[in-house]
Amino acid sequence: MTEKRTVGRRAALGLATAAGVVGATARPAGAATGGRPRGPRPVSRPRATGELGRIRLTWEGEAYEPLVDHYAVYGSESAGFPISPQTLLTKTVFSTFAHNGMGGRSRRWHYRVVVVDAAGERSGPCPEFSASSTESVTVSGRPLATVGSFDHKSLELALAPAGYAQYPARFPSGVNVTSGSGAEAGWSYIHPGPMDSWAGRRSHRFTFRFRLDAVPAGAPWLAMWLVDTHASSPGAALFALNGTQVREVPLERGATRGSLEGDATLPGTVLKPSYVEFALPTSALVAGENVLTIDKNTGSWHVYDALGIFLR
Amino acid sequence: MRSPLPRSGRRSFLAMTGVGSAAFALGTGRAAADELDGVGVPADPFTLGVASGDPLPDGFVLWTRLAPEPLAPDGHGGMPRRPYTVRFEVAEDERFTRTAARGQAVATPELGHSVHAEVHGLHPGRDYFYRFRVGREISPTGRTKTAPAPHATPAELRFATASCQAWYHGHFTAYEHMAREDLDVVFFLGDYVYEYAINATNLWRQGVPMPPAEHNAPTITLEQYRLRYSLFKTDPHLQAVHAAAPWVTTTDDHEVENNYADELSLESGTPPHDFLRRRAVAYRAFYENLPVRSAPRGPDLPLYRRLRWGRLADIDVLDNRQYRDGYPAGQVFDNSPERRDPRRSILGERQEQWLYEGLRRSEATWNVFAQGVVMAQIDRDTGSGELYSNDQWDGFPAARDRLFAAWRRHGITNPVVLTGDIHRHVAAELKADWTDPASAAVGVELAGSSIASDGDGAETDNLAPIWLGNPHVKLYKPRRGYLTCRMTPASLTSEFKSVPQVRAPGASITTTARFVTEAGHPGLNREV
Repeated sequence: MTEKRTVGRRAALGLATAAGVVGATARPAGAATGGRPRGPRPVSRPRATGELGRIRLTWEGEAYEPLVDHYAVYGSESAGFPISPQTLLTKTVFSTFAHNGMGGRSRRWHYRVVVVDAAGERSGPCPEFSASSTESVTVSGRPLATVGSFDHKSLELALAPAGYAQYPARFPSGVNVTSGSGAEAGWSYIHPGPMDSWAGRRSHRFTFRFRLDAVPAGAPWLAMWLVDTHASSPGAALFALNGTQVREVPLERGATRGSLEGDATLPGTVLKPSYVEFALPTSALVAGENVLTIDKNTGSWHVYDALGIFLR
Repeated sequence: MRSPLPRSGRRSFLAMTGVGSAAFALGTGRAAADELDGVGVPADPFTLGVASGDPLPDGFVLWTRLAPEPLAPDGHGGMPRRPYTVRFEVAEDERFTRTAARGQAVATPELGHSVHAEVHGLHPGRDYFYRFRVGREISPTGRTKTAPAPHATPAELRFATASCQAWYHGHFTAYEHMAREDLDVVFFLGDYVYEYAINATNLWRQGVPMPPAEHNAPTITLEQYRLRYSLFKTDPHLQAVHAAAPWVTTTDDHEVENNYADELSLESGTPPHDFLRRRAVAYRAFYENLPVRSAPRGPDLPLYRRLRWGRLADIDVLDNRQYRDGYPAGQVFDNSPERRDPRRSILGERQEQWLYEGLRRSEATWNVFAQGVVMAQIDRDTGSGELYSNDQWDGFPAARDRLFAAWRRHGITNPVVLTGDIHRHVAAELKADWTDPASAAVGVELAGSSIASDGDGAETDNLAPIWLGNPHVKLYKPRRGYLTCRMTPASLTSEFKSVPQVRAPGASITTTARFVTEAGHPGLNREV
């Protein structure tokens, strides 16, 4: 039962169990010393790890004594950067931060974290730490077929940015698009899943067709960039090429906002872009028409940024 | 920004020096010192009003928060980063000529310059008036009262319930009317604030400017939660109800995050170790802004507690978020076998045992349960199947059965469950056998609608057939409003009051329904 888990966690945190009885009083952690509070200690063990389109930051530090109001994360592409409002990337109470929206090119960033406690006192910044994001196949590879622009926006796609309610009428049999000029007008920005009542609570298939005069030499890759997904039930995307299942990819949790807005490059956006890129079996491509299908058999919707097949 | 509440006279309070009182004041930090007195306090620091809460036979907790600029982006209300001594005065009359208690507390920046002054040594069952002073600044006056003596049998308890006050969805017109009621207590049953971003898509409250950009983001940090409370608490009608009667407050989910369960973030999927950090700052901001006694310790908030109204009523204030189990099979709505797992609990083992032990000892005529989510079984499948919300007690049927068994075991014949959460007026009989409409009612559940959440609402909606399809549901009304009750040794009269709109201000109030429940005969007899 939950209680056992809670007690265990309390013990791990070294917290006393407070009684909930009439007349009980308790002082908040950190309030007992009174007077001018001491500033919080800086975070320790900061780490940065590069991924496709983003860099993940983690650190360690006391959360409750004193209570952390937030961690102020500063960053710059210039080493030795100053701590200032201009270099403030985010404020978060979590001990992690995904620095998103870096695009397909590898970029090197430098970071420092400042702790701000409940009294408004600030720690000194932690030592600078750095990482580079991973380069996307959309940059390093040669495009064979694409739909949409890899730009963290869904705006060029059909029904974008908020026309999901029209999906059932516009795409009663799913999406079926052939690569080429105007493909974006036929590719719905939103791909519903079986949890979406507005789309009939069923699976939905998107089909992308592209022609190859000959099977090219080199390793084919698939790139699917998403502007956002459903926050609690993003589901999974099942990919098949020319009738052969290739891979099912669980999607990352988004912000449940991409169904209504489509530009993840705006300042302060709450959209959570994510990226799917993987190598396709070399034998999967054929000369002539190739058919890529994306099935959504679990979860709720995702919103596209762009989709493409590349040679690396 | 100035509090809309009327100011009290200044002369006597300014002349007051020292403590010299029989009252005991628990400050919010160390004992007050003269050097913390109000030198340099910014003008007009009482913009968020005053409040009292959790009345005992000899006292209550008094609340205020110093915030001359309540919407200052850093969440500190425009206060300098230093502690201040805040003095309070309690009197038997509104002019403060018969002082009953005086004391002082320290408002510290680490608690957002909030004050929680516990007053004891007063007479039971009496009205009192109170006010605060910092430097030369005097707060508005609040009215409160003590609970009756433990063995007294008061003639009545008059109370209201409120919940779900999404400031951005509408005006607090319901509070405008509630402030005119003659109330002993206000029960607040959860969703005092909402964690969502506020922007053009959900700002339905007409005639107010768009809040500053920092409100257009989900609340994650303490700074953001503090700002959210400040924004909501600037409402004059909310302040008026706080100043009119003591509040007894519990939480639901939106004080932290939609649908959370203990350390589980079911909405955003935040891992538990990080979600607990968010819960900690959310609980801290809750404490800083409400007249409750117990402060959180890290991510844990001592919230469940018991109050008594003489021998008329025992009031169990429940916490059905902090210790609950998650969804039984990963879904909000289902009828999964896991739902019926007897180990599942909405209260947690410790709170359940505390509750049952209190029921064993209870000698009151009425047993009131102030809590967040619907307890009655609500089958949401209008056909032959069954479908339940696992966010409500329906997600924990074994825990509900254990509670009903405790009622039977300990002779609790008049349970009254007060509920929020659903943004609808719902009255239901709690049944011994949900499958048999003819089975005995073992208690009543009164769920008052939201103050503002979901905007104007309607006379009916597409969920009405679902709720009213459950024969023990006697009222369903999706308008905004509140519940008032008059409880006597013989009966409970409950009135569901509604306003036709909240997007625009100024709506009149009407009584949608009135029920009478006779002591000893659980059930809802509709009069209006």
